[in-house]
Amino acid sequence: MKALLLKDWYMMKKYCKSYIIIAAAFTALSLASKGNMFFVFYPCLLCGMIPVNLLGYDERSRWMQYSGTMPYTKTQLVSAKYLIGLLSQTAMLVVMGIAQGIKTTVSGVFVWNDFIVLMLMMLIMATLTSSISLPFIFKLGVEKGRTAYYLMIGMVCGASVLASSFFRSDLQAEIRPNTILIVMSIVGVGVYILSWLLSIRFFKKREIQ
Amino acid sequence: MNALEIRNLTKTYPGFTLDNLNLTLPSGCIMGLIGENGAGKSTTIKLILDMIHKDSGSITILGKDNSDSIELTKEDIGVVMDEVGIPECLTVKQVGNVMKHIFRNWNEVEYARLVQKLALPDQKQFKEFSRGMKMKLGIAIALSHNAKLLVLDEATSGLDPVVRDEVVEMFSDFTRDENHSILISSHIVSDLEKLCDYVAFLHKGKLLLCEEKDQLLAEYGLIHCTAEELHHLPVEAITYKKENPYGVEAMVLRSAVPEGVNVSPISIEELFVFMVKEAK
Repeated sequence: MKALLLKDWYMMKKYCKSYIIIAAAFTALSLASKGNMFFVFYPCLLCGMIPVNLLGYDERSRWMQYSGTMPYTKTQLVSAKYLIGLLSQTAMLVVMGIAQGIKTTVSGVFVWNDFIVLMLMMLIMATLTSSISLPFIFKLGVEKGRTAYYLMIGMVCGASVLASSFFRSDLQAEIRPNTILIVMSIVGVGVYILSWLLSIRFFKKREIQ
Repeated sequence: MNALEIRNLTKTYPGFTLDNLNLTLPSGCIMGLIGENGAGKSTTIKLILDMIHKDSGSITILGKDNSDSIELTKEDIGVVMDEVGIPECLTVKQVGNVMKHIFRNWNEVEYARLVQKLALPDQKQFKEFSRGMKMKLGIAIALSHNAKLLVLDEATSGLDPVVRDEVVEMFSDFTRDENHSILISSHIVSDLEKLCDYVAFLHKGKLLLCEEKDQLLAEYGLIHCTAEELHHLPVEAITYKKENPYGVEAMVLRSAVPEGVNVSPISIEELFVFMVKEAK
C-alpha cells in the first residue's frame, strides 16, 4: 500500500500543482472576503477530484493493467485511491481550518460551534465528489465513469428541486441548522464508506483489458 | 515441480473462445507461446495472472492454484506486458523507489545494475522514453525482484536487433537456475527459436501443439521438389504442401519419408506457418 501511495504522491507532485495554487489563492481570498463561502468550499470540492484525476492518468499510462501483475489485491488497489483522497482532503481541511480559525480569532468572532459546523460542511464538500464518482469510475473506467457521474449529479439535482416543492416552506425554520449539518455529516461519512465498499465490489468484477 | 500447469482453460468473449487450453511448463524451462494476432496469447497470460476471469479450467503457478491468494504468488512472478504501464511522469529512480515497496524481494543493487546495463536514462521521465526503452525498463523491473517465473507478453517487440539479442541472452541467463522458468509470447519467432525449450502454437484460441522444440525440429522437415516427385512419397509423410509455379514445398514427417529423399531442416517459423495454414 505504501508503494501505491508513494506512486500517487509522485503523480500529485507533477499533475496536481494547479490544485495547490488554486487552494492557496482561494485560502487567501477567503481571508480577504467578508463571509463569501464560495472561496472556502470550492477548493474543498476541487480536492475531491484529485483521486478521480489520478485514476485518469493511471488509465492513460495503462497502470491499471500493470498493477494487476503486482502482488496486490483489488481491494488494496481501490483503497489506495480512497486513502490518497482522504489524505489530500484532510490536508485541505487543515489548511482551510487554520486559515478560517485565524481569521475569525483576529476579527474577534471565533465561536467553536460555528467553527465545527464550518469544518463539517467542508468535510462534506471534500468527500462528496469522490464518494459519488469513484464507484462509477471503478466500474466503467474513467471516460464512461465521468459521464455516468455527471448524469447522476443531474438526476440528484433534478430530484432535489422536485422534492423541495413537496415540503412546506416553513419546515426549514423548524429544524435547527446544526442538526441538519450533523445528520448530513453522518450521511456523508456513511456514503463515503459505502462508496469505498461499492468501488471494491465493482473493481473485483471488472476485467482490465 | 512444474512452474506452470494449465488444465482445460476456457474463456469466451463475443467472437472469440480460448478453447480448453492445456499447457505444462516444467521448472527451469522456457516456453514460447506462438500465435498470430488474436490467437489468444495475451488472453492466456491475463488468465494466468488472474487479471481476467476464466470461464472454466484450472491454473497452477509454482504449485499454487491461481485462484487462491494469487497476490502472494505474484511476488515470485516477473511480468512484462506488451505495454509497460509505468506512470508517465516517473523517472527510473522514482520507479525503483516505488517498486522497492511493492516487492518484498526487491533487489536495489540488481535494478541499478540492469538500468546501467540497458543504458536507461536516469533523469528522463517515462513519457520521454522510446518504446524500446520502455520495454527495457519493464524487463529490468521484472528481473529485479528475484522472480522464479517470468511471464513475458511481446517483451522483445520494439527493441532493436542488438538489444533484442542482449535481452534474449539475459532471459537465457535467468533460466540457468533450475528453479527459474519463462513463459514468453512473441511475434518474433526467431527470438523464441533461439530461446525456447518448448513451443506452443495457438491459433484462433485453440492449441495446435505444445512440444519440445528440439523434438519438433527433429520430427519435421521440408522438401522442395516437383509435383510428380511428391506423388511418390507416402501420403502419411506429407503434413502440408504448398504449390507454386516452380514446384512444391512440403512439410513432412521425417520418420515417414523413405531413405534417400533429401529433407531440409525446418524452422519453427516455417513449422508454425504451415500448421496454421493446415488448420485453416
